[in-house]
Amino acid sequence: MSSVGLIISLFIIGAGLLWLLILSLTGREVERRIVFLFIGLAVSVPLLFNITFSERATPIVLDVFDKLEDLPPGSKVLLSYDYGPSMAPEVEPMSNAFLRHSLAKGHKLYLMALWATGQSLVATAVDSIIKREFPDKVYGEDYVNIGFKAGGTGVLNVIITDFRKMYLTDVDGLDLDSLFIFDGVKSLRDMDVLISIGGGFPGVKEWVLFAGAPGNIPTAGGCAAVSAPLLYPYYPRQLLGLLGGIKGAAEYESELKKRYPRFETMPTPGIKMMGPQTLAHLVVMAFIVIGNISYFISRRKRS
Amino acid sequence: MKLKTLIVLSCMLLGGSVFSAAQEVTDATALTDTAAVAAPRPIADLFARDSENDHGHSLTLSWTISPDDGAGQMNVIGYELYRALSPDGEFELRGKFPFGAASYIDVGAKEKESSQYSPDHTDFYYKVRALTSDPEVFTDSEIFGPVQSYGQWFNTGRIPVLVFVIGFLTTTVILIRRARGGADLFVRRLPGIEAVDEAIGRATEMGKPILYVLGLGTAADIATIASYTILGRVAKKVAEYQTGLIVPCYDPVTMTVAQETVKTAYADAGRPDAYSEDMVYFVTQSQFAYVAAVNGTMLRERPATNIYMGKFFAESLILAETGAFAGSIQISGTDEIAQIPFFVVACDYTLIGEELYAASAYLGREPLLLGSLKAQDYAKAAVILLAIIGFLTMNFGLEGFKELFYISN
Amino acid sequence: MEGSKRLSAIILAVVIALFLVSWIVKGLAISDSGAALWFSVRDAFFITLAAFLTLAILSFLYKDNPYYKFAEHLFVGVSAAYWMCVGFWSTIVGNLFPNISESLSGYFDVPYKGFNPFYFIPLILGIMLLMRLSARAGWMSRWALAWIVGTTSGLNLIRYLRTDFISQVSNTFVPLLVDWKGVGPFFSDLSLSASGQFTMTLANWVIFVGVFTGLIYFFFSKEHKGFFGAASRVGIWVLMITFGASFGYTVMGRVSLLVGRLTYLFRDWLGLIS
Repeated sequence: MSSVGLIISLFIIGAGLLWLLILSLTGREVERRIVFLFIGLAVSVPLLFNITFSERATPIVLDVFDKLEDLPPGSKVLLSYDYGPSMAPEVEPMSNAFLRHSLAKGHKLYLMALWATGQSLVATAVDSIIKREFPDKVYGEDYVNIGFKAGGTGVLNVIITDFRKMYLTDVDGLDLDSLFIFDGVKSLRDMDVLISIGGGFPGVKEWVLFAGAPGNIPTAGGCAAVSAPLLYPYYPRQLLGLLGGIKGAAEYESELKKRYPRFETMPTPGIKMMGPQTLAHLVVMAFIVIGNISYFISRRKRS
Repeated sequence: MKLKTLIVLSCMLLGGSVFSAAQEVTDATALTDTAAVAAPRPIADLFARDSENDHGHSLTLSWTISPDDGAGQMNVIGYELYRALSPDGEFELRGKFPFGAASYIDVGAKEKESSQYSPDHTDFYYKVRALTSDPEVFTDSEIFGPVQSYGQWFNTGRIPVLVFVIGFLTTTVILIRRARGGADLFVRRLPGIEAVDEAIGRATEMGKPILYVLGLGTAADIATIASYTILGRVAKKVAEYQTGLIVPCYDPVTMTVAQETVKTAYADAGRPDAYSEDMVYFVTQSQFAYVAAVNGTMLRERPATNIYMGKFFAESLILAETGAFAGSIQISGTDEIAQIPFFVVACDYTLIGEELYAASAYLGREPLLLGSLKAQDYAKAAVILLAIIGFLTMNFGLEGFKELFYISN
Repeated sequence: MEGSKRLSAIILAVVIALFLVSWIVKGLAISDSGAALWFSVRDAFFITLAAFLTLAILSFLYKDNPYYKFAEHLFVGVSAAYWMCVGFWSTIVGNLFPNISESLSGYFDVPYKGFNPFYFIPLILGIMLLMRLSARAGWMSRWALAWIVGTTSGLNLIRYLRTDFISQVSNTFVPLLVDWKGVGPFFSDLSLSASGQFTMTLANWVIFVGVFTGLIYFFFSKEHKGFFGAASRVGIWVLMITFGASFGYTVMGRVSLLVGRLTYLFRDWLGLIS
């Protein structure tokens, strides 16, 4: 199905692009709506045919994976959901992959959100992934959801010295001291690794600035593609690794599938999205080439 | 190795009963009749000291691991740390760690009411217990003590930050004072400023207005402040040439300041009568509704030139693309790095990041901006110099220079 | 004019009819899977509404139209109200009440932390900020703003100086010849792997040249002539390559969001893919 689909998609898109090339070579104006239509086609046809490509983790993604892998079971992993539904298609695959990896490895998970909209996404993840795929994990012992607190970087400034000054209870109103997972946990400094998933403010950068660097706590991140180039300078010394956009998520998913047989059949939205993504990129690249050809032709005509 | 991990896990799962049972036994060495596991040799050289550069309530411990940890009898699966107020007092558990661990920072709370409270200036005695897979077979170390925790007034680990803060602030203050005193601080002319002048000329020739967008920033944002200076310059030229000016605003406070700026510029140009309140107006504080309104203005009024200066977010490309579509000359400037690429592709000229401040300082000669800009130039020169020294030292294997920049916590 | 009005009415009727059909068909599909009637009616309505709003927003790509405007205004209105509620519940109820009043904490069912008079400072500053609404007492908001600007710059100066300045400067101290053992071994062991000597050396050169020339481009105290001019030209190339990379990443991000929306339409709404 996939290879037939790929051939059909490539044929539809290729024929269209050829038509556009001829149009621009003959000096006719190409309407912008046609560009939109093409991007729409390039995304939806491979999506319908479920076209996927194989992914291989790059070092910057592998560094995060290996960190979670090398920590002994029972290590404390903090996962912060710093995004909202508008960014979810891009970064949710990352947070789901981190969740699965940490729990499969036997780490203790501390879930929180610096974005108000992140809190409901944490709850969704707990219901749809932890409760369904890891029924043996006990709330308050293996994982906890402390939810959202207003204050952005101010929250980080406080919890780097004391969780309990900001969070008296978890998201359901249970006293932190009554939760086994918070036994001996005072502040962010007791965490073995901090992972922020987001793409806005506050996000990965703020975690590095206000928690990772001042507390010397290993910090990793997953971010929307838009902010990835701004975060690269922090790697590898201030950020131990980074998942940039859906490509990073797909790489992480493929590594997870490769190393954990139990995840062979898990949903891989990241890998699935890379199919339409790749074809859309090809179309954009073709547009750049066609655009430049017509630009040079029109310039020559003018001169 | 995996087997050991399993043992550690199973031991952890055995839970509190194991530890509480273990706690009751305080003899230096305890052997039981379940002689399946031999008692390990104890850890050595236990040492505790106050943790440096903190607010107190914390002690740092280190020791040499048991000879049976990873070698010898290979029966040590982990350690427990105990603390008491006197050598023969009751020892309480302070921490548990897996085999191979040779140090620990015992951090307590500073609040008296906290269950984790650890007082400063109080004598403590420590011992470390080497554990085996049999919860009743373990060996305690010799007791170390007394040791006290206390806070430090000064965090020596942050000296590099202090040096840079003092250096940068002093340079900035000195340069601002010099600028205020009328010193001639040189700032090179930016091509973008020339582009603004040309664009105003073109608008005059075409008899069409100039659209000036201040962005989505508040009146307190540096980018918006820099934009006011440029707006002042543009408004003055517009008044001289008698071209039209349209300034749609996103923020009411920004609008008030922009109105003042334009009014003053018209007065400076000697044409206060030509100024009208309608030139600078408020649109809405909803991001995309604002964009829709500005786009509508672009398509209806067809301004000869669009100038975007200030703070921009996701709307940058929509605005610049519509402007390009309408055939206007476009000049932009923003310090939002993520938006610069969109302006670069859709505008004729873009002031990149700091160039916006520089353009503003160049045009306005405002001492605060000029002094800060010069101080930043000095900082950049310092970075270039440090980078060169850093490269040289790294290439000759002298890691010591890099160490100077290390900030402990 | 009359004709266009009639056309608009026909389009509106078609859209409403399609919406209703989708609602019914989706509702039947959900109830087939064993859900209770009320849940299927409700879920089908929300799924159809979300699909309708997605299509309404996407219709802007064709041209501006009332459906797009409806969806946009709905979004603006809902998000404004949502953020107002979040602000009240997370800041005032979540952070303020537990520190100043036991009865209010009890009323809103949040755990009381104990009376802390320091929390009256942000409360007063918050009220001062709201004074902006009054023409006569508007000056008071400036004091609160000054506090915010002052504390934020104080906190940020240290953090940014440490992480974005000092650490970044020391991060650029990299050896220009990684694991150098001589020209012979360099060429004999040449490999293009990401962690290989050649790639690492090249990466370090890019960092060195990029930082050096980029800083020179942003140096305003000297005319860009001679060596400075050449270096700044390289600097602008480095910047443009960075912007290109950033642009590419943005395209990826936007396409991901489009894939996300289309997945919703194809999977959740139309059930075309699993």
